[in-house]
Amino acid sequence: MEILQTISEMLQKGKAKDVKALVQEALDQGIAAEKVLNDGLLAGMSVIGEKFKNNEIFVPDVLIAARAMKMGSQVLKPYLSDEGVKAQGKVVIGTVQGDLHDIGKNLVSMMMEGKGLEVIDLGVDTPPERFVSTAIENDADIIACSALLTTTMNNIKAVVDAVRDAGVRDKVTIMVGGAPLTEAFAKSIGADIYTPDAASAADAALSAVQKG
Amino acid sequence: MTPKEKLFSTLRHEPQSEAPWVPFAGVHAGKLLGYDATEVLTDADKLFASLMEVNRLYKPDGQPVVFDLQLEAECLGCELVWAKEGPPSVKTHPLFDENDPEDRVVPCDCTIPDANQGRIPLVLDVMRRMKAAAGDETALYGLICGPFTLASHLRGNDIFMDMYDDEDYVRDLLAYAAKVAKTMAGYYVEAGMDVIAIVDPLISQISTDHFRQFMTDPFTEIFDAIRDLGAFSSFFVCGDATRNIAVMCETGPDSIGIDENINMAEAKTITDRYNVALGGNIPLTTLMLHGNQQDNMKFTVELLDMFADKTNLIISPGCDMPYATPVENAIGVAQAVHQTNQVREMVKNYQRAEMDLSQVVLPDYEHLERPLVEVFTLDSETCAACTYMWGAATGMKARFGAEIDLVEYKFTVKENIPRIVKMGVQQLPSIYVNGKLVYSSLIPSREAFDRVVREALTTTSK
Repeated sequence: MEILQTISEMLQKGKAKDVKALVQEALDQGIAAEKVLNDGLLAGMSVIGEKFKNNEIFVPDVLIAARAMKMGSQVLKPYLSDEGVKAQGKVVIGTVQGDLHDIGKNLVSMMMEGKGLEVIDLGVDTPPERFVSTAIENDADIIACSALLTTTMNNIKAVVDAVRDAGVRDKVTIMVGGAPLTEAFAKSIGADIYTPDAASAADAALSAVQKG
Repeated sequence: MTPKEKLFSTLRHEPQSEAPWVPFAGVHAGKLLGYDATEVLTDADKLFASLMEVNRLYKPDGQPVVFDLQLEAECLGCELVWAKEGPPSVKTHPLFDENDPEDRVVPCDCTIPDANQGRIPLVLDVMRRMKAAAGDETALYGLICGPFTLASHLRGNDIFMDMYDDEDYVRDLLAYAAKVAKTMAGYYVEAGMDVIAIVDPLISQISTDHFRQFMTDPFTEIFDAIRDLGAFSSFFVCGDATRNIAVMCETGPDSIGIDENINMAEAKTITDRYNVALGGNIPLTTLMLHGNQQDNMKFTVELLDMFADKTNLIISPGCDMPYATPVENAIGVAQAVHQTNQVREMVKNYQRAEMDLSQVVLPDYEHLERPLVEVFTLDSETCAACTYMWGAATGMKARFGAEIDLVEYKFTVKENIPRIVKMGVQQLPSIYVNGKLVYSSLIPSREAFDRVVREALTTTSK
């Protein structure tokens, strides 16, 4: 399946239009949508994630690759639902209340999609209740919160508390991240998972939903 | 040599046996006088008073006058969201149209802020006042939002994708942002700033190739312009920009500032190759905000001890200090920089696992003949904050004479350490009256302290 390899390579180069056309071509050749997704798009994003983690590529490179993946996914979407392919798991993500810095959150979101997870992105400045209500409405497996500022990192705890108060703490895995955070801080506020970078976050999210 | 000259000498790359200290107290300055972040960034009197308090307590060789990377963006139409304990954040990006992301506009040069726009007059006013009040002794830093970060404020995150989609646009937008930076540098030097720092945290998010492609020209132009203005320059970055330090040096700043995401020793081997000074990198959150005084002193001593040769070395926090940084932590760092040998001993002694406290006899606080004021200091002769704390106490002694007793316990005197430990003193300097902590780190006003002493006079058993 040479074409899937080409999709992966074009995605890594951020060639969105090429990826879109190639995905359609692969489907036209009769390749199953799930295979195009796994061996084309997700394979390419996996390489991107690894390179980003290893400091071989940086934010601009990840963003254009993710955009290419998005365009390919849009073509695939109807075919995937026809095939009955479901996402690996669901993640509700956002920056916490008071924090408008979203580059990191966006990268995590893209990397998670690159692992086949469905991501519901609440954007920036998200009140704790909104994380919780969205997670409940969508039966999400994970809530992922990000903060860049030392002042807003404390608002992550408000999300953890809100999840507990809503009585769904045992149903939802809470992941946290952002420049000022540490493993110790994550533990101290009762979060489940801290990761230092976007690619590790996506890996951790996937293994959390697979453990179920 | 004045503290300012010490820093200048480092920025001229002359041989040094000591490193200068530059505390980046931005909004944190307000905490020293009880003002919130918004107050210090919008009220000239409060900002000036807070900065003078930084100058008094932290004994800096150099200090920034304001640390707000949103100042230029605000003038250029970005809407800000203000916070009590942090600088404002940019909420809207005027050069990004959600409905037409490919509509890429470079603002006209006529939009470059003039000196009367936004909060610029406030900043210039405070700069002039700081120059007059502290400028003879302390080098003053004017901080400017770097061109890449300013471009991202204006254009939003799409600036990253523009680097692939429309290279000319990115180059043009950065050229515009560089003109803004050069204009701001002119205002700040005219207002008396000695060092102009270009603060561009986003530099850590791009590759070295992208740096060369887009950043080398605007930054070189900015640092040339600062040199032409007769000021020193610095290039601050946040995050792990290790790979970009060499190309940053190639743009010609006099110094580079880094945070804890970069290994200081590794960075210095690079900056030394270019004969550029390196400043850093006391960790902001784990240490300055959440650590204690001893942690901060220990880290600083170890940081200094990493470099036998102090040439081209500046000690500073990794970036803008968190608002709520405990005052004693910054005092501890200042002391460790200024009195490294003594602090090295203190920290060593403090960490001794087994300390014999049985020999320490504490006063019988319940049965004192007169109020007892005990001042616990790092050393009132060398630590600025301790000098003022001790000064406040001797002021009371002068006022109340034989009615009160006063004693100082210096941490630098080995015999005092068990007493300080037994008393449970957490921060230095502190004042205890009749065995109870009344002031810690922040120096009391004469009026407040007077009330405390009078209260003690009525309650102390005769």
